[in-house]
Amino acid sequence: MAYAQAIFTNSAIYIIAAMGLAIFTGYTGLFSLGHAAFMAVGAYTAAILTYFYHWPLLPALLMGMIVSVLVSLVVGYPTLRAKLRSDYFAIATLGFGEALKVILENLDLTQGARGLPGIQKLAGPLNTAVWMVLTIWVCRNFLRSTYGRKIIAIGQDPVAAEMIGIRLLPNQMLSLGFSAALAGLSGGLLAHYVTFIQPAIFSMDLSSLLTAGVVCGGMGSLTGPFVATALFVVVPELFRGLALWRLVLYGVLLVVIMNLRPKGLYGHEELSLGNLPKLFLIIGLTVGLTIGSVLYRDYVPEWGEIPAWLLAAVVALGVTVAMNYAGRGLAWLLRPVLPRLGATWHRGFNRIVRLFDGLFIPRERMARTAGAVDPRPHADAAAADTPLLSIRGLSKHFGGVVAVDGVDLDVWPGQIVGLIGPNGSGKTTVFNLTSGVYPIDSGAVTFDGRALAGQSPTSIVLSGISRTFQNIRLFSNMTVLENVQTALHTAGDYGLLAAFVQWPWTVQSTEERLRTRAMELLGVIELGAYADRVAGTLPYGLQRKLEIARALALQPKLLLLDEPAAGMNPQESLDLVELIKRIHERMQLTVVLIEHHMDVVMNLCERIAVLNFGKKIAEGTPDEIQSNPLVLEAYLGQKVEYAPQG
Amino acid sequence: MILQTIITGLSIGSIYALMAVGYSLVFSVLNFSNFAHGAIITLGAYIAWAIMVQFLRVPFLPALLLSILGAGILAFLNERIAYRTLRRRRAPSLYLMISAMGVAIALQNLLYATIGAKLYALPPVFAQDAFEVGGATISRMDLFAFVFSVVAIGLLHCGLMYTKVGTAIRAASHDMEMVSVLGVNLDVLVAVLFLIAGGLGGMAGVFMGVKYMVYPSMGWITNKAYIGAVIGGLGSLPGAIVGGMLLGLLEALVSVTTIGSVQLSTYRDVFSFGILAILLIVRPTGLFGRLVEEKL
Repeated sequence: MAYAQAIFTNSAIYIIAAMGLAIFTGYTGLFSLGHAAFMAVGAYTAAILTYFYHWPLLPALLMGMIVSVLVSLVVGYPTLRAKLRSDYFAIATLGFGEALKVILENLDLTQGARGLPGIQKLAGPLNTAVWMVLTIWVCRNFLRSTYGRKIIAIGQDPVAAEMIGIRLLPNQMLSLGFSAALAGLSGGLLAHYVTFIQPAIFSMDLSSLLTAGVVCGGMGSLTGPFVATALFVVVPELFRGLALWRLVLYGVLLVVIMNLRPKGLYGHEELSLGNLPKLFLIIGLTVGLTIGSVLYRDYVPEWGEIPAWLLAAVVALGVTVAMNYAGRGLAWLLRPVLPRLGATWHRGFNRIVRLFDGLFIPRERMARTAGAVDPRPHADAAAADTPLLSIRGLSKHFGGVVAVDGVDLDVWPGQIVGLIGPNGSGKTTVFNLTSGVYPIDSGAVTFDGRALAGQSPTSIVLSGISRTFQNIRLFSNMTVLENVQTALHTAGDYGLLAAFVQWPWTVQSTEERLRTRAMELLGVIELGAYADRVAGTLPYGLQRKLEIARALALQPKLLLLDEPAAGMNPQESLDLVELIKRIHERMQLTVVLIEHHMDVVMNLCERIAVLNFGKKIAEGTPDEIQSNPLVLEAYLGQKVEYAPQG
Repeated sequence: MILQTIITGLSIGSIYALMAVGYSLVFSVLNFSNFAHGAIITLGAYIAWAIMVQFLRVPFLPALLLSILGAGILAFLNERIAYRTLRRRRAPSLYLMISAMGVAIALQNLLYATIGAKLYALPPVFAQDAFEVGGATISRMDLFAFVFSVVAIGLLHCGLMYTKVGTAIRAASHDMEMVSVLGVNLDVLVAVLFLIAGGLGGMAGVFMGVKYMVYPSMGWITNKAYIGAVIGGLGSLPGAIVGGMLLGLLEALVSVTTIGSVQLSTYRDVFSFGILAILLIVRPTGLFGRLVEEKL
């Protein structure tokens, strides 16, 4: 029994750290080689506090978490700030781990390589279990808040995330800090459970265990790393003789999983009715192997090698199969019941929320929260006497290639302006310069009276210019609804602490409103029926529409559409024209549109600018453009004079 | 004294450079840090140990060549098994890094599990043979390793500049897709790349083994070569060389310095990583690195 308790406590401790790494690697998409070092920081801080200064466990653990967070931010800031590739962060954490080891081995306070023996045994199965449950709950809450969605968005496509106004550095730092806090907690618990720590415990092996747990469990999931980490602690206990081979196995598993099944056990999904049988299968396999190995050990002396092995194999297989069917049976039984249970729970919960709403929240705060997601009022389009977007002498070259060469363009409020031109004429570059993706070489872009040159993409987006991409850049592992909800991040009005705890009376009501608003937007774009589909599985045309919905969620004044009709058939393009007209009117939008489908451009735009070789060669109404000889030449080539013969 | 330090630094630095080149070559084309390269270096040293000490009594030069060949082939197999599918699927570089990490963990611990953690010495090639230049001692082995490393890197440079494959590799480091569209067989190109990187790594492994010892974690990613490559700027060949040399010199310098009663050599690793941290703050892309921008 004590043995089972030990295994349980160990798993719980490692699961806490694995949850942290799941947030950081699985969701944020950054690679760390040093989470064991953050555990070491937490462990040593907490242990020193209880050992030398006789603090109680709770404040010591909290202190360990705080120190771990501070250290992680110092280590992470230089690489994350420079927007370097994940490789550099990995090397920074690795270096930190090595440096920390040397420091711990040489410091008097940590008693060097001998370590700290005889730490009070303050952590046991019970409080560890409580911490683990708390950790999972907080992680789940965090991921379901605007903060969490921002981080998930960065993990799926950092460029697209920036383009919906999510700043990378603070959010990546948040993810790092959060994950380091959990690592620190895990380390502190470990120190007070095993009662003896030394630098060697927090070696690469430990980081490998955590990485293997997250990767094999599945990136973008909490359930997966939970299950996998538990397995990695339990299973090696069964095969004690193979201790040395355990790490070989982790390594091989990492390679195999990445190559054959990158989503691991539960990649981008959480435990649900659909995958309940899978969990039972895994548990069945583990239990089967456990019973099998015990039986084998017991019967080898009596029966001999082969019969005992056969017995063990048969029993293991039997248990696995039985558990598998038990899982399927349970899923089948629960299927009709669960939705009803969920609805009842939801109703009851809402009643409590309303009660709290009435009791605790000042009226004006409620009003403010309610208004948080309403469209911001726009200036009357007709009254404007300055252009909303004004581009003057815009130039950009890449090496020797001049992509944009002295382009002028004015876009007045409420207009739909078309930007056309042959391939490579610099249209998308104009968008990229306007939205801050590339720095401007020379010229000026003024939006709403403010100069945009030198501003970051995120601040440009937040000042009211949102865009779509030529190559669709959705958060393809999120659902359609989540894609739009993520873009509503500016409307989330609750703090980080609230996000962790999810007070029903602030967070949940805001979240409810965000969801409603997102559904409205999906309604506008006619994607309401697909709200729960994973975005990457949508047909191409619908993905383009979803990108528009996501851009609209930012409540832009100006919408830049980069080839919205690319790859659509004539009927779909016509629908798109209607759609753009509808949102243009309904949201009082100003639109600039790059498009090759001339019927779309001619139908929609009141004014068209034509680019060729980076220069603007014409601007005017559709009729003027259609009869402009320069434009015809750019599109169809030089007119060949037909010389009649004879 | 200072001359001696510089000589020590250069001799170890040249080996670092040799290893760092392997990291940078792969990074320049495939855009990920091949953490498994260190394991290949280690295996190269073990091959030399196996054929020079354990099983046969092969003399040094043939053993060196066999190690180079063996490590090259191992690196090639490593790519085949662990990266090829990912590369073809255009998986994010995170996946490639994790896979590389897996190979590194598996190979290192495979050595622990089979051969064990014992340290083995390679036989001295030029026994006790050192000569003096201006008061500084130069061991013949160090000189040999230095010259050999410089020649190998020089050959690599010429190969990259003046051969067809080299040109293709350089082109691929700018735009792999374009190179493939132009009719270069990417699989062959990557295979050559890993053969070269692995071969250089094997050579470095043998030199390391002769200079110090052969043990499973000698090529673990905390080895200075990777840091050298990062300092020089990942993906840049001159960067890898300068970074490796610089780190070697710095280490030699730190090892002989004492501040008060504290011997800095204890904190040698902290210094290497400290330099790295400072550099990343001042010049995030390394000395010769370029920032890769994504096309929208």
